[in-house]
Amino acid sequence: MLKDITFGQYYDCKSLLHRLDARIKIILMIIFIVFIFISKNIFSLLFAAMSVFAITIISRVPFKLYLKNMKAILPVLIFTAVINIFYGDGGKVLVHFWVIEITTAGLYRSFFMALRILLLIFISSALTYTTTPNDLTDAIESLLSPLKFIGLKSAVHTLAMMMTIALRFIPTLIEEAEKIMNAQKARGADLESGGLLDRIKALIPILIPLLMSAVRRAYELAEAMECRCYNGGEGKTRMKQMHLKKADLFSFIVVALMCGSIVALNILL
Amino acid sequence: MAILEVKNLTHTYSENSAFINDAVSDVSFTVEKGEIIGIIGHTGSGKSTLVQHLNGLLKPTVGTVLFEDTDIWEKPKEIRKIRSKVGLVFQYPEYQLFEETVFKDICFGPKNMGLSGDELKERVLEICKIVGVREEYFQKSPFDLSGGEKRRVAIAGVMAMRPEVIVFDEPTAGLDPSGRENVMQIIKDYREATGATVIIISHSMEDMASLVDKILVMNKGRLYMFDTVENVFSKKEELESIGLNVPIVTRVFLELKRKGIDIDTNVFTVQRAIEVLNSLKEGNGNA
Repeated sequence: MLKDITFGQYYDCKSLLHRLDARIKIILMIIFIVFIFISKNIFSLLFAAMSVFAITIISRVPFKLYLKNMKAILPVLIFTAVINIFYGDGGKVLVHFWVIEITTAGLYRSFFMALRILLLIFISSALTYTTTPNDLTDAIESLLSPLKFIGLKSAVHTLAMMMTIALRFIPTLIEEAEKIMNAQKARGADLESGGLLDRIKALIPILIPLLMSAVRRAYELAEAMECRCYNGGEGKTRMKQMHLKKADLFSFIVVALMCGSIVALNILL
Repeated sequence: MAILEVKNLTHTYSENSAFINDAVSDVSFTVEKGEIIGIIGHTGSGKSTLVQHLNGLLKPTVGTVLFEDTDIWEKPKEIRKIRSKVGLVFQYPEYQLFEETVFKDICFGPKNMGLSGDELKERVLEICKIVGVREEYFQKSPFDLSGGEKRRVAIAGVMAMRPEVIVFDEPTAGLDPSGRENVMQIIKDYREATGATVIIISHSMEDMASLVDKILVMNKGRLYMFDTVENVFSKKEELESIGLNVPIVTRVFLELKRKGIDIDTNVFTVQRAIEVLNSLKEGNGNA
């Protein structure tokens, strides 16, 4: 059951998106998300949706994987959509019941919000599917490096190192949790039935050993790092240097054009 | 009487579609009541997967596991019941300890079986006596114990369910020689006290030779051999071809034989080696 959890959901294949510099991908994603929220009429939003769709195709990641990610946040999506229905001002009143009023503007707004969130998920999935977790953390470290000039020199490296370690240990801890679950099941632990309280209680025999083993691993790792004279980011060099390539510039221009089109559609229509 | 019967067991891990590979394929064997069975095999040969079927942690993709002639998956809802009949001690069982005190932790298994009150207490005290968990340890935190003691407590936690069959997955891994000896002694003591059937996975051919009746050899998910210790360890070449070996003493005796000394090579334990060498010495003395 724990195997269902995908984290660092990198999908290994070759595409333009896979080749792009992770830093560029992060920046472009943020810019694009901003423009998704800037688009205010149906035409610009649909244009944004088409662009996102094109990006998912270029990524060569099976579309069903994107849908899988969407499924995970479906409750949030529905919740947002429903809430927004009631917040429309103006437009034709469709339903009026007590203090509740559903208007065309409300429906319009709810559709907009839902679509925006959907696009947000798709575009961020496109990033995580095409970038390895390690590249992501390296890119974040590189992007945060300007913070060094305002006195947060060690913080940037520490943050990146923490992320790297966390990502590295997720599969290990999942495996460990599975082993512990099996061991407790072998002792007759009942994890599958009972009420909510029973189920929460049943987690104690799993969580405590898991926590203990995480702490133990942390000690071991810290010791191993000290043995190799780890002293933070000072003077550390990289095995893989990140360089901007032609494709990065190209993708930058494409996203700039997409964003420009969104603004143009906003103004013109 | 056969207490456990595995029929044509195949298990396929389907989670990782990258390599669809049977972890265990078409394995059949029978374990008689009271026997001690050793399971050996190279890493990844399917030993651990195989034993997790015996108490219903894994469900066979194909095939059946019979406990006392009943399919353990006959009533899937009652699969938990089989886990107190077939106990399974995992590798590094000390990582499963979680309670505040040693005593409470040992209670976990029998409690899950539905025992309580005096019955529970009696059961746990009894097992502590067999396993050698002394009374002054009862109120200690299991996390304060030494590695060997932790393992002793963890093993007691499974034994407290008083399983009729008890399976150990590399019970001596990571212990020092005296710790290893302790664990082997616990297994012997439990068996003596309860007459339980024992199945042990081990990489130590020496442990196998000194303890078990029959050895089951796994290779690439298939049952390679299932025979008496003598018959298995007499096939040195075959074992070597699948990355295993015979006990060191046996290797010494085979080498002596190769050097031209007329000697019995069915020697698998140091004890037996001493006997054979002594009789050889006497034989020479007489001549």
